[in-house]
Amino acid sequence: MSQAGPFHYIGKPLLRKEDRRLLTGHGRYVDDIVVPGALHACFVRSPHAHARIINIDTAAAREMPGVVAIVTGRDMEQWTTKLRLAPPIEGLEPVEFTALPIDKVRFHGDPVACVVAADRYAAEDAMERIEVEYEVLPAIATLEAALAPDAVKVDDDLSSNLVSHQTFSGGDPAGRARDAHRIVEASFYLHRHTHVPMETRGCAAIWDEGREHLTMLTGNQAPHPLRSQLASRLKLSESQITVNTADVGGAFGQKITLYREELTVAALARELKRPVRWREDRSENLMAASHARENLCKTRAAVDKNGRILSLELELVEDFGGYCFYPANYMSRVVAMILTGPYKIADYAFDVKIALTNKCGNGPMRAPMAITSWVMDGTIEAVARELGLDSVAVRRANLLQPDDLPYRMATGELLEDVTPAETLEMVVDAIGYDDFRARQAEARQQGKYLGLGLCVVIESTTYGSGFYKAAGIPGSGHEAAWVRIEPSGAVNAAVGLGATGQGYETSLAHAVAEGLGVDPTQVRLHIGNTDIAPYGMGSRGGRGGTAGGGALYLCAQKARAQVLAIAAHRLGMNSGAELRMLDGRVQRLIGNDWGDAGLSLVDIARQAYLDPTSLPDGIDPGLDFSLTFDPPPMTYSNSTHACEIEIDVKTGALQILRYVVAEDCGTVLNPHVVRGQQQGAVAMGLSGSLLEQVVYDANGQNLTATFADYLVATACEVPEIEILHNNTPNRRTPGGMKGMAEGGVMGSIGAISNAVNDALAPFGVVADRQPLSPQYLHGLLRSARTSS
Amino acid sequence: MTERQMISLTVNGQVHEVAVEPRRLLSDVLRDDLGLTGTHVGCEHGVCGACTILIDDQPARSCLTYAVQMEGHEVTTIEAIGRDGLSPFQQAMHEEHGLQCGFCTPGIIMTFEAYLRDNPNPDEAEIRDVLSGNLCRCTGYQPIVAAVLKAAARQREERQ
Repeated sequence: MSQAGPFHYIGKPLLRKEDRRLLTGHGRYVDDIVVPGALHACFVRSPHAHARIINIDTAAAREMPGVVAIVTGRDMEQWTTKLRLAPPIEGLEPVEFTALPIDKVRFHGDPVACVVAADRYAAEDAMERIEVEYEVLPAIATLEAALAPDAVKVDDDLSSNLVSHQTFSGGDPAGRARDAHRIVEASFYLHRHTHVPMETRGCAAIWDEGREHLTMLTGNQAPHPLRSQLASRLKLSESQITVNTADVGGAFGQKITLYREELTVAALARELKRPVRWREDRSENLMAASHARENLCKTRAAVDKNGRILSLELELVEDFGGYCFYPANYMSRVVAMILTGPYKIADYAFDVKIALTNKCGNGPMRAPMAITSWVMDGTIEAVARELGLDSVAVRRANLLQPDDLPYRMATGELLEDVTPAETLEMVVDAIGYDDFRARQAEARQQGKYLGLGLCVVIESTTYGSGFYKAAGIPGSGHEAAWVRIEPSGAVNAAVGLGATGQGYETSLAHAVAEGLGVDPTQVRLHIGNTDIAPYGMGSRGGRGGTAGGGALYLCAQKARAQVLAIAAHRLGMNSGAELRMLDGRVQRLIGNDWGDAGLSLVDIARQAYLDPTSLPDGIDPGLDFSLTFDPPPMTYSNSTHACEIEIDVKTGALQILRYVVAEDCGTVLNPHVVRGQQQGAVAMGLSGSLLEQVVYDANGQNLTATFADYLVATACEVPEIEILHNNTPNRRTPGGMKGMAEGGVMGSIGAISNAVNDALAPFGVVADRQPLSPQYLHGLLRSARTSS
Repeated sequence: MTERQMISLTVNGQVHEVAVEPRRLLSDVLRDDLGLTGTHVGCEHGVCGACTILIDDQPARSCLTYAVQMEGHEVTTIEAIGRDGLSPFQQAMHEEHGLQCGFCTPGIIMTFEAYLRDNPNPDEAEIRDVLSGNLCRCTGYQPIVAAVLKAAARQREERQ
């Protein structure tokens, strides 16, 4: 995957700098950090999905050995402000809630009290002795129940459970539908997931009473925004809080917002004037951290007889759970915005409804817009099915071609430097599409049912401030960086991201190295401590490489310009224009050749710090640089996935025989890291599509709070994932980076479903829900046999 | 359950005298009492494999073991592996990008240090079967499988 181009360091296959400590057990995850004298917190959680809290009796628990404090929502109310989410978005109801619930609980697992004790064992013992009296209310456990006319309200302050409703129409979808050859309708239900980082949530809060300063050790993707939230909720200034994230055992979107448990722990550390720490167990993580997805999409495509889509309408309903830690339209809005993705569909309308239910609140999970590509390419499949056409031919008839770019979608989103048609042809070739059809026909003769599914993906990666402004969401998509060359010539750099396994210390070192002209092994990244790194927007979506890498690349270029200006002065030249730096040595252009100029970064650093009076006019002492960078409103990567499967029609068991992805994510900072993200994303998508499912019963009881019930794919279920590369740089980002790491989830969800329906085609049934469990597929096959 | 008793615990060749409640998990004793935090706890119900250690050279879940059961046994943790330079499997994991967040990694290392010692010539299906006792949420497993194959090949070369 090494790329031709102007780069010396970007794209080199450097092995990860993080690995040695993590391979030898010397990582520092929150729970590995010793905090002398720390007390342990443990949360009492609601056994009911929906209930009034009548009374909490903590008297017996307080007598238990080791117990230091027990607090409830009433106590927390004195020490913290409410969370109020009220962005000025039409159709979005403002919501507000306290640190811990006071009057009622909204889901099975809602925290109602916190015990603080000498150790976790003592805290759990005491927890058993707390008596909470509830008045059980009817539970809203489904979307249908939530949106029924007289439904019980999950949030009593709202007018109904419909917390958000947005519509859009571009062009004339209804008019195009009137003239259409046919209207094709399709339905897609993506079930409830949860993130399952291998390290659960946890934190340690240390209050310095003398300095009135809070240090929060936690695992988080967005340390500075977390600090802002902590300050606001604790009524502290942002200069009174340090958030420090060291190693983080995965996050996938679960570690962005400030959770109520973390806020409680921080408040308790301040009130008790003792360090307090908390580590949730796995069952709490599965039940009460954050959930994701559970949306139902219906599409209506007006088509001509060749399968050309004339217009498309989307109805989306999302089950958001009981609390809004994010604006309720946050994830589904993106699905609706980018649905048409790689296809030329000028006439498009959407209707997006978000409902509250008595479940754990939803949040963004790796590919918040995960369902998008399944819905779009599943619609393509439905068109092909209904018109008796080949689905690849229908894709080709609708795909954006190179000549169509740049292309503005009906929603206003701008696509440029993407290659959907190219990646489709790459996987069609790689998988041997025509041969497959012959093999499939032959296999069917022998009672074996093979299926091939394709999915073309347009992945929104980096959200610039322009996107937030256009979406009406207060916030920024900028990123901040500093680069410091120390007196010895050592290169330190920092950026406002939050590392949770992506390998930033390595991949972002490439960006600094390229901008400055030193080997990436010489660059040390400092990420995750809010006192050290500049205020950035953290890691979410696919922004790390583009926004973070871009900011660092530009900042390192700024540093290089000054280093070369000093070098030029020393060499008696007017400017640094005919100088460059490579491997930390200054080189001079003589004729057409670069030759060593006899100066190194070490020489320049020594001069800048120790002999500043010799610097040229206008150059200040030291080598200390910073900047902020706002990426374009949105960057897009693209890919096409192909998945070949076999279904055992007797049992419904599904086996993946081959998986190929052709992906275009622009400039690659580090090929190992990028491939790891690509394969990991596909694995996560397949795991969700085949195995994972948060299940609530009719009373809102969570039935999947262990790994025996919430199944995550093991090495036996995840296939080998072949990656084909097609790297087209983005012309508007520094270095041409586009961002990536979520498209694999989008593509795999769609490709596996399309493969299943291809395999099941002879039976005349369509799988329009996930997970694609043996039980579900077997049920579909049985219904086919019964009806035939 | 809460009465502490003194036990003698042999970990990585060192003998420790510790006072523990009978209910105290081995994983908690290793991490909190002995400061060996390389052993991670991912689920506390024996599924994820992050807490895998060796008991008398065989892989076991430290979250499903009480510390008091370990008298007379030898416990080995990740801290004993690669002390004098990375082991062949650790090195192969590094080269194959077999880890991302790294939380599950110590458990995987312990599983395969024992496996590769006893199985010098594994095939991919066997490796995947053994690896299915450790959950990894980041990598998709493929590079870990490649690392096991690579380490096995190197060990075979060294033994020849």
